[in-house]
Order: sequence, then structure tokens, then C-alpha cells
Amino acid sequence: MTFLFRPLAAACVLAIGFGVPGAFAQSAPPGDPDNGKRVYLADGCFTCHGRIGEGGNYYGLTPILARTTLPFEGFKQQLRDPARVMPPFPEAVLSDKEAADIYAFLQTLPGKRPVKDFPLLNQ
Amino acid sequence: MSKRRNSPDAGRRNFLKGAGLVGAAALTPAAAKAQVAAPKADLKAASPGPKLTAYETQPPGKDPVTQTSSGGDFMVDVLKTLDFDYCAINCASSFRGIQESMINYGGNKKPEILTCTHEDTAVHLAQGYYKMAGKPMAMMCHGVVGLQHAAMSLYNAWCDRVPVFVMIGNIVEADKRAPGAEWVHSAIDPGALVREFVKWDDQPASLQHFAESAVRAYKIATTPPMAPVLLSLDAELQENPIHDRESLRIPKLPKMVPPQADSGAVADLAKMLVAAESPVLVCDRVARTPAGMKHLVELAETLQCAVVDNGGRMNFPTRHPLNHTFSRATLSQADLVVGLETKDLWAAVNQFTDRIERTSRPTGKKGVKLVSLGTHELLTKSNYQDFARYQETDLSIGGDAEASLPALVEAVKRLVDGGRKSAYEARGKKLAGVQLASLERFRSDATAGWDSSPISVPRMVMEVYNQIKDEDWSLVGTSTGNNWPRMLWNMDKPHRWNGGSGGGGVGYTLPASLGAALANKEHGRITVSLGGDGDFMFAPGALWTAAHHRIPILYVVLNNRAYHQEYMYVLNMAGRLGRGVTNAHVGTTLIDPNIDYATVARGFGVHGEGPISDPAELGPALKRALAVVKSGQPAVVDVVSEPR
Repeated sequence: MTFLFRPLAAACVLAIGFGVPGAFAQSAPPGDPDNGKRVYLADGCFTCHGRIGEGGNYYGLTPILARTTLPFEGFKQQLRDPARVMPPFPEAVLSDKEAADIYAFLQTLPGKRPVKDFPLLNQ
Repeated sequence: MSKRRNSPDAGRRNFLKGAGLVGAAALTPAAAKAQVAAPKADLKAASPGPKLTAYETQPPGKDPVTQTSSGGDFMVDVLKTLDFDYCAINCASSFRGIQESMINYGGNKKPEILTCTHEDTAVHLAQGYYKMAGKPMAMMCHGVVGLQHAAMSLYNAWCDRVPVFVMIGNIVEADKRAPGAEWVHSAIDPGALVREFVKWDDQPASLQHFAESAVRAYKIATTPPMAPVLLSLDAELQENPIHDRESLRIPKLPKMVPPQADSGAVADLAKMLVAAESPVLVCDRVARTPAGMKHLVELAETLQCAVVDNGGRMNFPTRHPLNHTFSRATLSQADLVVGLETKDLWAAVNQFTDRIERTSRPTGKKGVKLVSLGTHELLTKSNYQDFARYQETDLSIGGDAEASLPALVEAVKRLVDGGRKSAYEARGKKLAGVQLASLERFRSDATAGWDSSPISVPRMVMEVYNQIKDEDWSLVGTSTGNNWPRMLWNMDKPHRWNGGSGGGGVGYTLPASLGAALANKEHGRITVSLGGDGDFMFAPGALWTAAHHRIPILYVVLNNRAYHQEYMYVLNMAGRLGRGVTNAHVGTTLIDPNIDYATVARGFGVHGEGPISDPAELGPALKRALAVVKSGQPAVVDVVSEPR
């Protein structure tokens, strides 16, 4: 369920590589993170990406979505016309508003933190 | 059948004729004559015949009630020569003869009976045991209904190329079957049920036949490619007295040598490896013994080439700088890919996409050379498709990879000159950098859900590692899709891991882990397994076997309350159809009520911790459980976890 095989996604990954976390999130439409959490759990996003967006495993590792730096438009495109094996979430199933809410919810999550802060991971 | 050849007049139900039986008696000729001369009465009912009349009017014959030997005793003599330590069984009348012999004649030692609550558990126990002990376990079950239960686990063992020595009970002769159960539990060819996934089977017709077939079966099972074998044991043969023990001979088990690759082919492969710019070794079930890892490390280090370990065995240390198991890019850049005991070489150089139109594309470098070295093509059947998709290769070498590695290493070393050595060192440094970066990425990824409740899988994995890392530990099972231990743990010894189920048949992890733990017990190792909840529910009774036989194991249940892979599959289907994405839990989850595995464990006499949802409570719970394990007992920790 990687985003690497679509041009837009590739551009996003490139942007991430240049280190501008949060920049894309600021350009997203306003969303309701509480409703986003509800929809994220109800629609099964958590099954592959974890309840707090920590990633998972389907056909191999699935992306970490917590505090995603993917721009909202790329995020929405992946929902509507996903690359590889992710199931599609058309508007009839998941509205643009709900997509924005999920996106807002993902920005509230802790996401990745410095490894040095976790002694168990340094052994 | 058998009875008549070995003890022609000692049928267990023909007691009156039993030459080897005590107290045989029959009607005297005078008594019989008297019955023939008896006057006919004027009765409405037909008069009884002379035998029935004699039976009813004469004192009862002395039915023989004891015997001094049984065919089962001889069978146990044979099994002892094969050095079985254990025989896992779910008891059944059709093998009561040999079971009694094992217990009393054999003293319940070599083999010692392991009481299992399901035949599937017994086979999986043997499968897990072999992969850690390096020697097969015997297993016994009913020939019909028991074997039907055992079939799936035998398929797992078949796909995993693990020898299991299966014995089933059967009653061959129709006139020797009691009405009822013995008819529905008998078959003319019981082995037919599993013949597509055992390597060999036989139904011996005499005790001498048994001796020869048992040794033959052992040899066949343990010669690579290994696989289960099956002997169907006629109940008459097991139970009747031995007619002439002196005439029976047990063939000796010879020293066995696995098939090695052709020396010319090894030389060709060595040339290809030495000449390649970016060779990659893809291994799956290479390391049959501790020597396998040593040889593979030596080969990789000589070449300073990348190794991708598919994990069918503990082939290569996880933190070795040349371990590129989780780096797909390494494979796509290879100019030579060598599959070592790899069934699915196709998957190494192609990518398959599960969408409405199922597609695939090659991911290998243009012009990549492919070589396979292994035993898969020496043992293939037709019906079950575990041989995977056909992959065209440039060189295909039939031979056991582990046995062939020393010759390959030597051939490579002979070809490596000084100039190549420096080039290899540069290649090795580059590969080491990539490997280190991968480890750092995995660690970073693991932080994302660190404090979540339910507990994230990497958090659970590292809490367990924190408890065992200073012990001589052995991980013997994980839930589906859980690669975190292989990504994060320092697996540096041959007993650190022993592969998966082989056939993907669910219900493997708990019983197979117990088998491996039994093998580890004599080495004083701490055995740990991280099984899934869905898997656990197939054979929870295995925990009783663990308690009863004092098998020490730390069994952590990854309790995501679902058959989670299936949950994702159903969600995928619903997504394709644009409907019902909120309903994918139906039929795929284990909720309402939630299952409390710690309580289930306690019910089987096993120490239970949990269910634990708070990550802060996990470490202390694991510590308590580990103390129980160190005392020689099993312990279960129920961890309510994130999906993956």
C-alpha cells in the first residue's frame, strides 16, 4: 500500500525528502479531527494503518499515516484511486468532508519521534 | 492378513484357536457327538444347531485372557532403534496395542508418549520439534477420523519440508472388526487421504514387513527433501502374540548422506558468483542444522554479497551487515540472484498486485541471471500447488543447499584473487550502510505507535525482547505478518528462529511452538512465541499438553481480536465494490464477547497474565511470566494489541 507508484505521490515523497513537515498540512481544508477519528475507525482505515496511524502490514509494510506530510490532494487521490493494493474509497463511501476530517485527525497523532528517546529500541 | 502370517492361529477374536494363548479349550469329541444325537423336540422355533446347543449345554470353554507378548512389543523394539525421544498421540482404540507396548514394554521412554488433545496438535508439535531438535518425532492417531484431523497439519509439515513419522491404527480384515466404531474407523487404504502430501506410506502385512518399512520410512523422511511419512498399523499385527520373535530382524539404520550438488555445477555457480557485480543470495529453508548458518555466512562474507532471508529457517543473522532481507531495492539491482532452497524464486524477481485485474511485473534488473540450488524439484507432486509459479533460470542445480555449501564456499575462495577482494570489500561496506539504515528506519517506525492502547505490535515485540535479550532465548513462532522481531531483534544464533508453518494452515503456532520448546528444554533455553489469537483458538487444548508435560515456554498472544488478514481482505473486496466498508468485521473478528486468553490458560493449568491493554503494564507482566517459565512451566501473556 505504498504511494510510490504515482507521479503525484512521487512528488510528495520528494518533498518529504527535502524536509518540510507540516507545510502540506497547512494547505489542507479545515477538518473535524473528532469526526475524522470516528470515520477512520468505522471505515476500517485502522486495519492497515493502525488506530493511531502507526502503520501496519498487509502485503508488506503499510505506510505510517500519523502526521502525514502528504498534501491533502494527494491524500484524497490515494483514497479515490489508490495505487497498488489499497481499496478505493469513492465519494459515495467517504465524502470529501470526511476525507478532510480524517486528514485533520491524522495531524493530531503523535507520529514518529526520536529513537534516542526510547531505550527499548536501542538494544 | 498379518496375523495369519506371523501367528496363524492366534487371531485376537479367535481365542479358542490361539496356539500362543493360555487356556485354550474346545468341545470334546464326545460332547459334540452327544449333541448330534440329541432328540428333536416338537418346537415351533427352529432347533439350534449342534454348536449352539453345545455352547448352551456344556460348561463354558476357558477363554484365554492373557498373552505373553504382542506385535506391538516388537514394533517398540524397532522404534527404539530409530532413537525417537517422543511420540505425540491422541489416543485411539485402533492403536491400543502399540500404545500399551510403548507404555509398559517400552517403559514409556524413547519414545515417551506426549498426550495431545487433537491430532492436529500432535503433528504440529512434531513439526516444531524437528526444526529445533534436528530429529523427527513419532506421532500416532486413528487411521480414519484421526488422520482426517491430522491432515492439515501434515500438509503444513509437507510444505515446510519437515519429517514427521506418522503411525495410524487400522483394522484391515473385515471379519476382525467389531460392529460399530471399528467399521467406521477402518479403511482399505487409509493413507490415500494424505498421500499427496506425505513422501511415502505403507501398510505392513507382517512384523518383519513393519521392521523394514519403519527403517525405510525413517530414511525416506530424513533424506532431503524431507517430508512426513506414514505407516498404517493393522490392529491384529499390533495386538496378537509374536509367533516367532527369533525369526524377526530389525534392519540397522545406516549413516545417511544428503544429496549434494554436482561438482561441475558447483564450479559453474562459483564462477558466476565471483564474476557478478551485485550477486544476491535468496534463501528460505537452507539451514537444516546449525552448520547451515555458518556456511551461508562464510559464503556471503567471502563474496561480500547481500543475503535475503525469507525466514523458512534461521539462515542468516538479522543484524549481519550483509543481511538485506527487507531491502527490495537490493534484489532489483542484482545482476545474479541465487535461490537456495527457495520454492518461490519467481516472487524474488517479480511483483504481483492483487487488484481487480491481477497483474505482475518483473522487478529484476534487465539481464539478471538466475540460479536455483535446492531439493524442491526432487520432490514434487501434482495436486497441491505448493511448488509456486515457474521461474525460468539460467542454471538449476538439484541438491541439498546446506550440504552443497561447503564445496561452493571452497570453489568461490579458489577464484577470489586480491583485486577482487578489494572490490568485494567496497561492495560490502556499501551494503553494510544500507543494512544499518534499514535498522534505523525500522526503529524510527516503531516509535509511531509506541504509547498506543491497544498496544502496538513493535512495542509488544520490544517489551518481550527486553525481558529475554540477556538469556539464551529462542523465538519459535509469530503471528501472520509480524516481521518485527526479524527487523528489530538481534537474531545471531541458529536456534534464534525456526521458520513458519509452511502451508499457511492456521493453528500451527501454539502446538508447533510447544514442540520447539520441548527441544529447547534440554538446552536450558528460554523459548518464546508471539502467536496470534485466531491461531490460538484452533487448538487451545495444546496448553494442557504444555502444562501436563511441563514444557516451559513464554507464549504471548497477540490479541488483535480478529482474523486480521482476512479482515483486510474483506475490506478490500468491499472497497472495490464501493459498499459496506463498515461491515468488514462481520465474520472476521473475535469480539462480543472478547476472549480472555489468560483465563483460558489458567483453565488448562497454565500461568496466565492479562489481558493487558496498557503498555506500561506489559513489562512487569512479562517479567512475572518469565519467572514462571524459568521454573520449568509454561506461561501465557494475553496482549490486547493493535492489528499489526
